[in-house]
Amino acid sequence: MEHIRNHRSVYAYAALFLVLVFAVAMPVGLAWAEDAPAGAATEYRDIPGMGSRNLIWIVAQQHLLLAGFVLGVPIFAWVCEIVGVRTGDQRYDKLAKEFTKLLTSSYATTALFGGILLFLLIGLYPKLMNYLSDVFFPSFLVYCALFLLETATLYLYWYGWDSMQGSKKGLHLFLGFLLNVFAFFIMIVPNSWATFQASPVVIAEGSMWARAWAATWNPTWWPVNIHRLIANVVLGGYICGAYAGLKYLMAQNAEERVHYDWMGYVGNFIGVFGLLPLPFAGYWLMREIYQYNQQMGITLMGGFLSWLFILQAMLIGILFVGSNYYFWLGIMHRIPGSEARYRRPILAMLVILLVCLGVWMTPHSLVASLEEARKMGGTHHPLLGVFGVMSAKMTVSNLMILVTFMSFIMYWRAGKEETARWAKVAKAGQGVLLGIAVVVVVVLGVWGYFVPAITRINYFSTTQVLVVLFVLLTVTPLTGLLMKSARTTTEMVWGVMPGRAGYVLVLNAVMVILLMTLMGYARSSSRVHWHVYGVMQDTSQYAYSPALGYAAAIMALNTFLFCLLVAFIFWVASMGGEKKGGPTDTAHTKAKDAASPAVGSAPAASTGHQ
Amino acid sequence: MRGPSLAVKGGILLAAVFVALKFVLPLLTAPLPMSLIYLYLFLTIIGIVVYGTLSGESTEALLGPIFRFLSGEGIGGAVKSARLAVLVLFPLLVGWQTYGGLAPNTQPPAESRTIHPAPPGEFVGLSNPLPNTPENVMMGTGLYAAYCLPCHGPKFNGNGAASDGFNPPPANFADPGTIAMLQESYLFWRIKKGGVGLSVEGHPWKSAMPRWEVELSDDQIWKIIMAEYAGAGQKPRTWE
Amino acid sequence: MTEVQLLQTIGMSVIGVGGAILLFVKARFVRVMAFVAMVLGAFSLVALSVPQMASMPPAVEKIDVASIKEKKELAAIGQKIFFSKGQCALCHTIGSSEGRCPDLKGVGSKLTREFIYESLTQPQAYVYMDYEHEGRAKFFPAKMPHINKKPIGLNNNEILAVIAFLQSMSGEEVTINLSELATPSSASSEGRKAL
Repeated sequence: MEHIRNHRSVYAYAALFLVLVFAVAMPVGLAWAEDAPAGAATEYRDIPGMGSRNLIWIVAQQHLLLAGFVLGVPIFAWVCEIVGVRTGDQRYDKLAKEFTKLLTSSYATTALFGGILLFLLIGLYPKLMNYLSDVFFPSFLVYCALFLLETATLYLYWYGWDSMQGSKKGLHLFLGFLLNVFAFFIMIVPNSWATFQASPVVIAEGSMWARAWAATWNPTWWPVNIHRLIANVVLGGYICGAYAGLKYLMAQNAEERVHYDWMGYVGNFIGVFGLLPLPFAGYWLMREIYQYNQQMGITLMGGFLSWLFILQAMLIGILFVGSNYYFWLGIMHRIPGSEARYRRPILAMLVILLVCLGVWMTPHSLVASLEEARKMGGTHHPLLGVFGVMSAKMTVSNLMILVTFMSFIMYWRAGKEETARWAKVAKAGQGVLLGIAVVVVVVLGVWGYFVPAITRINYFSTTQVLVVLFVLLTVTPLTGLLMKSARTTTEMVWGVMPGRAGYVLVLNAVMVILLMTLMGYARSSSRVHWHVYGVMQDTSQYAYSPALGYAAAIMALNTFLFCLLVAFIFWVASMGGEKKGGPTDTAHTKAKDAASPAVGSAPAASTGHQ
Repeated sequence: MRGPSLAVKGGILLAAVFVALKFVLPLLTAPLPMSLIYLYLFLTIIGIVVYGTLSGESTEALLGPIFRFLSGEGIGGAVKSARLAVLVLFPLLVGWQTYGGLAPNTQPPAESRTIHPAPPGEFVGLSNPLPNTPENVMMGTGLYAAYCLPCHGPKFNGNGAASDGFNPPPANFADPGTIAMLQESYLFWRIKKGGVGLSVEGHPWKSAMPRWEVELSDDQIWKIIMAEYAGAGQKPRTWE
Repeated sequence: MTEVQLLQTIGMSVIGVGGAILLFVKARFVRVMAFVAMVLGAFSLVALSVPQMASMPPAVEKIDVASIKEKKELAAIGQKIFFSKGQCALCHTIGSSEGRCPDLKGVGSKLTREFIYESLTQPQAYVYMDYEHEGRAKFFPAKMPHINKKPIGLNNNEILAVIAFLQSMSGEEVTINLSELATPSSASSEGRKAL
């Protein structure tokens, strides 16, 4: 069975590869011998019709999204595997294995797109590639070596899964750890190339290795590393959620519904877990950019890219609302009889979320007709203009994180009753802590209007972030401890979620992918007309940065292509494999037991769709 | 379920938000532009849908009346004629909107000028070479009175004698949103290069600020900058 | 039809087709994909409704040595080189301690033009000794690269322009005479054409 499946997927890959090669090679072939003045080295080549930049844009974005997925999934799988070992719940081990299977097939596609990207860059941007190879050649070698190690580890991890159960499980977990370590280095090496383009440092003379090392340690390297690492976890989690959502909608029987409902829950859980600290990493990155070059900071936040951040606020807002909505749907449907108890707190949280989102999305300079602008006395509204500045945005984003965190805790505790003697004290403490955090965040936010910018940025915003992080880091383990000894009062019923839950999971994943494409465009355009900021100018006809609308169309196209690609990979991975029992075989008896009271009555309710 | 259904409550909430933003708020302050009102209404709709579809029963309470109204099942009397009116008027509304969007009109397009665009690289890292002494500030104030005061005003609030002639109006330095959030080097660039030196997103064709490099030396410009901060009671933005 | 209108039309059509699929098609996978396409179409429409600004690269400036009439102009050219091709601002700041290398505020009045020239072209010629260790003092090598060699490779005229800028931004008289600049006809190396 296994062999047949592998052969079939190999054929599918070969076909995909050929199609892509033809699609790419034909226009390139036509344009290959383009305007190189006699004697001078060719600096750029173009592709008639779509343009070289657009092609690079699309291929690079696909590669990057796939890479994010391929680096996020091992973290996700490894964490699930550990949870499986610690709790003895076989479902987690199965889930981890299912996703590692997806990993093996998407790994090849990622490398394929990386290869296409490399060939295209060498062909279309020779001047830039020449420069970068000159600086970074040693790290190219390191990258290749890392790839060999990663591939070998991945093969061992995946093919050794079943044979390393039991006494050798520790070794397998160690392999998973190694896989993640290599994956992390595979991510940070290319990050150094990209961040060097945005924030180059002067490279003195020295050995080849010394030069590459100096260029690698550029000011935005670590902020981007951390930001991408967390974002990859988020991407992995939400894509797992979307996959489960889709499978849930397509499920044929109650057993599958139970399994995929549970999988969607785990995906969303991990996604939100990564999402909460993500804004802090983004804030750190933005600060480093401002500190590195104020001009770049202004281009991003106040210049021609300022509207992009309103779009970003919209996408993040929908993601926050969507994730919370999924939690709330879970409380309402999976825990029978919970509606009356939770409706009011949910309404309160929803109102806070939306008010915060409204503040976040209010731009500094409003879009107004001439008449409206005249009435306001400019493009700043006298009252709502105060929402447009950084102090307000920082405050509401911190509040949204706190609210989402409350949802998370509420869901965790729903249907359980603490038995520990100190439970009352602990719960009161948590409540007080959350309350104080909210007050501190709001007070600092308002106070921020009345102090010099530098005080606000260095002390107030940092304090807000630290307070929220402190709450996250204290309440989570405390709740974990409480839940360990808690008694389950109402058993969760799996597989009874309405169809819209599946759609919400898909929506959240789309939002995450769109956000990655949007911020990729932001990072690229903040360099404006430079290949390497302040060092090597882009002199091609594509030196300009397109307007947001045009860029958004390409982002949407990229997102759609990526969704199709992921669906294709998932389909290839599932071809011929374990057809009869579905993915849920013997290991899921536990889940089935838990859900058995509902299995009989659920199907009718859960097939409803929008 | 007693009382009005969720659908009706949602409709009332939406209407209330609209009335509050469109008609009540202008009584207190300047009216909001429509773009912002649409944004807030959109968020309200999201809230109603999310809250309404939390459980199976509430979904029925929210969507049931709407579906029944539209399909015409089990309604009668005035509601039935209201349904007919909606079904006729809605396409007309869409048609009117489309027509309004396509028909040529005399309104200029919406304003989207970036007031403080990114300065060119060669100005970002500059700092004031002159010490901030009372003499320098005094000399700067004299220069300000000679060159800047007619537009930016004796009180540094953009309210000079000639200010009425300009749209956009001269910058108000007393406003914490202007020079207080900019570095001295930014002011140096704006004074030296004037309106024509702005990048495209700053709409260089709109600003009437002269290119002072033609008439003033760098030292004079730095002195004027010191005088502006002192006169407006502001401090330049710093990064440390 | 402008580009924006074309894209808006495409976005609307995608939403319309997606809506039709959701209404009439039963296959779940197709429905979910249609839903995704509708979300993306809506996103594009929102992005098309905000102000559209492209960022254009600045016009390429060709600088002709013969056209420089005043020392002020030379300093202005030096300012551009300082913040772009010369890459000085990647490490040095002017009036801030945030930089990775010495701050250059007032450097034009602290140092002679000969010393600045030497610092740019032979950065190791005059360096501090490092006593903070056992045994004999060592040279404390400068991180500064040779500005007149690759990869930065400024030519003589450009270096003089940068010095003129450093002097003028320190409030000093520029001591570079315009006659010191090599004109293209007298220049022998081809690199000088740049200025």
